[in-house]
Amino acid sequence: MAAIDTKLSHYPVSPRASRRGLKAGQSRIGLLMLLPAAIAFAAIILYPFLQALGLSLYQYTVEMMSPQWTGLSNFGRLLGDRAVWGSFATTAIYVTLTTLGTLVLGLGWALLMNQPFRGRGVLRSLSLLPWVLPSTVSAFIWGWIFNSRYGVLNALLLQMGLIEYPQAWLSTPQGAMLAVVMTKIWLSIPLFMAFFLAGLQNLDREQIDAARVDGAGNWAILRDHILPHLRPVLIIVVVLGVIGNLQQFDTIYALTGGGPVRATAVLSVEVYRRAFEQWDIGIASAIGVLWVATLLPPAFLYLRMLIKGNN
Amino acid sequence: MFDLSSTTAKVVFGLALLFIGFFLFFPLYWLVISSLKGNAELYQIIPTPAPVMPTLEHFANAITRGKLPMYLTNSLITSGASALLVTVLALYAGYSFAKYRYFGRQPVMLFMLSAQMFPFGLLLISIYPMMSSLNLLDTQLGLILSYIVFALPVSTYMLYSYFAQVPDELIDAARADGASDLRIFHTIVIPISIPPIVTVFLYSFMWSWNDLLYSMTLIVSDSKRTIGPGLLLTYLNEVNSDWGGAMAASLMASAPIVIAFMFLQRFFIQGVTAGAVK
Repeated sequence: MAAIDTKLSHYPVSPRASRRGLKAGQSRIGLLMLLPAAIAFAAIILYPFLQALGLSLYQYTVEMMSPQWTGLSNFGRLLGDRAVWGSFATTAIYVTLTTLGTLVLGLGWALLMNQPFRGRGVLRSLSLLPWVLPSTVSAFIWGWIFNSRYGVLNALLLQMGLIEYPQAWLSTPQGAMLAVVMTKIWLSIPLFMAFFLAGLQNLDREQIDAARVDGAGNWAILRDHILPHLRPVLIIVVVLGVIGNLQQFDTIYALTGGGPVRATAVLSVEVYRRAFEQWDIGIASAIGVLWVATLLPPAFLYLRMLIKGNN
Repeated sequence: MFDLSSTTAKVVFGLALLFIGFFLFFPLYWLVISSLKGNAELYQIIPTPAPVMPTLEHFANAITRGKLPMYLTNSLITSGASALLVTVLALYAGYSFAKYRYFGRQPVMLFMLSAQMFPFGLLLISIYPMMSSLNLLDTQLGLILSYIVFALPVSTYMLYSYFAQVPDELIDAARADGASDLRIFHTIVIPISIPPIVTVFLYSFMWSWNDLLYSMTLIVSDSKRTIGPGLLLTYLNEVNSDWGGAMAASLMASAPIVIAFMFLQRFFIQGVTAGAVK
């Protein structure tokens, strides 16, 4: 897909232009231009990252003046910490449900929005809104919908006869998980849709028309042409979705605070609680190291795709 | 794409549209509707589908009684300054990656991008003491600097993939006329790059504007609080919940970013999906 090329149409773009680069003698100016961002990156992203990894080898709690080296003992403590294992399980459930749910609904919505009908443009624009709302706002909306006394979800289910009494959704482990998962799916559908729509743009229409002449129905076209065509986009979307969902904090914290008890305490919430509520920095960092380990496989896949795309 | 001439196809299409559309739009509808209901109407077990007696009292309360204007101003300052900073840094770095060749260029760029897997929550464990030792805890400057974390890597990549498409002939021609590299960048390349620059600014602004975690942790004083934690602490505390107020304040807190997004969504989407779809 062409990237942002709105104003560039005035200029002849030679196919080799972007590959060739400029003369080597100018590399010093190039390095100077990179310098400010490199310094900012090193100071505020790389250094804190390495330091946090390092802190996992220290005991460092709120009562202590300075961190004390304890080697791998934090990880030893984690092995026997059932709450941390629970947090991993919760994260696995949360990431699986959100990623799968967004994938199905995002793909479905993109296919619908790719079909010409009256009012499609407006609908397409409006459906991007959940994505840009502040996370606190998303949490408010869904917290109100799931409200135990005046929530519209209870009202709908009561009226349809699916439940007999109003449910205190956010006070039960399953209900709270359902709420945080629904919220995340809702706010991620637009991004997934945008990726799929971009992928659908360069679908070969003639090939589909030809298949149709040969008698292929809608289902066959979806299965044999559209889905195979979207495969690369699908992989990217899943990888980016997993990375994003593994890191989600704001909506969960605002909706449930990780509760009830620990029912929605995914790794991001667990690290926050240990670091900034219990002020046990060493243990929080150790959990963080394991958290990064879960992020490595999808991040590796993502980088590999970028490198392939660049060459 | 699909052939919708048969009745079955029409029904399936319509049902899918209705189902996903309901899931996407009902929460937004409910947000607007709830903000316009008076408290008597708001707190009913079976709610009215639309306000019987629409009122703007929640909006008026949020503006006059609450601290919403202050939180909005604080968010505007920190998000705006941070987005500006990220845009300027990413502008030069992206151009450098796209148009210059030097040792380590590709690895450095990929390394910066891989920072996406550094969880923001983990970074905060070290950013907190760092800001503390620099006396930047509970300051807007501290928050502005910390917000760089969110968007710098992706913004750099977005601008890189744009600049890579700018033809070298354009730059070479200007260089033949004796213009310096910086001058070429400032007077020729930047003017034709306004849409991606605005996109990157908005992308970065959105991250900071929507932030809860960093602001909640690095800011202690109420007078410096931004909208994320500000809304949460005002409307959903242990003692009472003011849902009408929460909905009205949510709408006002979302307005700036929604309006900006509506004008720029085409560039925005192209920018965010650039590089991922080839």
